Amino acid sequence: MAIKTLLPGRSPSSATARPVSGRDRAERKLAFRMTAPSLVIMALVAAVPIGYAIWLSLNQYSVRTAGLSRFVGLENYINALASHEWWAAFGQTFLFAGISVSLELILGTAMALLLNLAFKGRAVLRTVVLLPYAIITVVSAITWQTMFQPNMGLVTNVLSTLGLPGGDVVWLGEHGYAMAVIVMADVWKTTPFAALIILAGLQVISAETYEAAELDGASKWQTFVNITLPLLRPAIVLAAIFRTMDALRVFDLPFVLTRGANGTESMSMLAYTQLRENRLVGEGSALSILTFLTVMVVSVIYVRFAGGNIRDVAKEEQ
Amino acid sequence: MDLNRPALPLQNRAARNRKALAATAIATALLLSACGGGAAPQGAEQAAAADPASGANASGAVNICGVKDASGIYKGTAEAFTKANGKVTAKYTEIGATTDEARTQIVQRLEGKSTECDLFVTDVIWTSEFASQGWLLDQTKLVEANKDRLIPSTVETTKYQDKYWGSPFFTNAGLIYYQKDKVAKPESWQQLYAEAAKAPGNGYVYQGKQYEGLTVNFLEMLYSAGGEVLNEQGDVTVDSKETRDVLNFMSDGLKNGSADRAVLTYNEDPARLAYESGDFGYQRNWPHVYRLLNATPLASSFGVAPLPAWEGGKASGVLGGWNLAISAHSTNQAGAVAFIDFATTPDWQKHVAMDYSQAPVNEAAYSDPAVLQKMPFATELLASVKGAKPRPISPVYPQISQAIYKNVYAVLSGTASTEEAVQKMAEEITTAKASF
Repeated sequence: MAIKTLLPGRSPSSATARPVSGRDRAERKLAFRMTAPSLVIMALVAAVPIGYAIWLSLNQYSVRTAGLSRFVGLENYINALASHEWWAAFGQTFLFAGISVSLELILGTAMALLLNLAFKGRAVLRTVVLLPYAIITVVSAITWQTMFQPNMGLVTNVLSTLGLPGGDVVWLGEHGYAMAVIVMADVWKTTPFAALIILAGLQVISAETYEAAELDGASKWQTFVNITLPLLRPAIVLAAIFRTMDALRVFDLPFVLTRGANGTESMSMLAYTQLRENRLVGEGSALSILTFLTVMVVSVIYVRFAGGNIRDVAKEEQ
Repeated sequence: MDLNRPALPLQNRAARNRKALAATAIATALLLSACGGGAAPQGAEQAAAADPASGANASGAVNICGVKDASGIYKGTAEAFTKANGKVTAKYTEIGATTDEARTQIVQRLEGKSTECDLFVTDVIWTSEFASQGWLLDQTKLVEANKDRLIPSTVETTKYQDKYWGSPFFTNAGLIYYQKDKVAKPESWQQLYAEAAKAPGNGYVYQGKQYEGLTVNFLEMLYSAGGEVLNEQGDVTVDSKETRDVLNFMSDGLKNGSADRAVLTYNEDPARLAYESGDFGYQRNWPHVYRLLNATPLASSFGVAPLPAWEGGKASGVLGGWNLAISAHSTNQAGAVAFIDFATTPDWQKHVAMDYSQAPVNEAAYSDPAVLQKMPFATELLASVKGAKPRPISPVYPQISQAIYKNVYAVLSGTASTEEAVQKMAEEITTAKASF
């Protein structure tokens, strides 16, 4: 309401003299003008590159003759969707995302509950747990690679010294094991991120709710299941969306650890190989767009079904 | 304009007749601008040529671009050249930390017709790709003029469609490092594998991760067994008895303990570190490992041998190394020619070995007493270099290499049978070669 009175060249009297629809139109115009700069920036940094990638994906660019290209319509998409490689990468990426995000949410919730307790040195601990997240993924991937190095790696050494299974396994050279290392590296690195979001959710739950539960004689477990978890759901869903979007685009971990061997090639790696190594710009762009669409569809599904709370909260605030 | 039309034969012929390099460059530029924005197909056949005589009158600055200068050889050569030449000043610009990164950076500059770099230091496997795009100056005349001082196998790595697109700078070939106290000097692959299986500490380590290095390790054996990937005409000939033999041999070696299964995760450095632990008998690696091994407790017990032969055959290998390619958009092509002339002189090639531990492209350097003192394995290295062959020559080499290493890896890790892998490899290489 306050905005209207600030409109230039418009006294309150003239405003009442005009029909309502005119006022609405002017207001819309103003809104448009005020959002225009952000729209332009969004268009430049998001829409233009995506549009260009879509255009590239509809063409084939010669790797034999410089500058030669031809329009092929959806051929690159049809070929990609008909290829074994795409569906293998698709399945492997979802397997990775499913396992790692589930673990991150469970461990992240536990970590958040711990950090929410009042104890000495909590502030320090909160900073420390974030360390893995601050390390560059490629660097942490190399660290994990070294730890699982056969014969001389830390993990393999400890396992074989203790006589536990896995000590004599070439972790990064076997199906299943290789995926396990990649999942571990991702969980180690990004659980603190999930924990941080969930911790923020924990802190907005009012203490009164807990006091009421205590008065009613609820046990710790009852309180957790019936109060904490439901109230935490928006935060968990938010963490799940962020983490899933990231996990579905995974590239650096398999690239460093296995180069996509042993059932760990991700959708992004496939696109990278076609675009960068093979310079198949059209084919690679089609794979990028397919990856993009996959991530988008998954996010929409999340917000639709799991994210009911988010929308309810938004409505209440309106 | 019609992009499929062969580019302007008349103007092109006129350009070819012109002798002066500058005129050729201008004509090329005009040709390009006539096609509007430079979207014209300017393939290998229409490229301008470097004039070997132009180096003598060169002046100005030359910028050489390439990968991070780990051994100091690029900057060192540029400095020595500047000092020796007097008129031309050369400088080296690092444009990528790794080989892959450097390739990306070079491709970006070439695609954008950047004039920043006059010379590129190119991996031997990039030649056909870059030449087919018309990004490089034709160095045929220059190479012909320098041919008697260059080892023939290294010159072959710069060849594409009967022309030379670079000059070899230094080369590289695989060597076998072995523990003299535990195992015998390798004479054949069969003997090496048999010896390696005899005792747990005799094992063989090589580069078996799913990447370019596995292609190299596989081709070294395939070439020595008499097999090939493409024949002279460029037809796919990988579906052969030799390919099957080598694949079976390699996978048997993993099963019977000749090679540790850990090689499936090794590239160059992990292989070296594993060998340095003292738990192995043989290691396949590049010449730079010699210096590093000398700094370990194994210094007195290891020996160096050229890659062995396949039983009853001739030893062979795969050439690595780096070439000097002149950018088609260089503004100082004469200066670039002068630099190449300097870098390939027998005298400087000795420094390549003595000061930077790299393999010279000049044969005489290997028997020079001063070189032998710094590089005692020079004789073995020369044998490896002279017997080595280039990797498949094709503008779609990256795809061919992927077809090789992915399918070899599938056999080694046990997810595909030899028969399946050979057929898939041949199929994928055929598809790659048909790339538009």
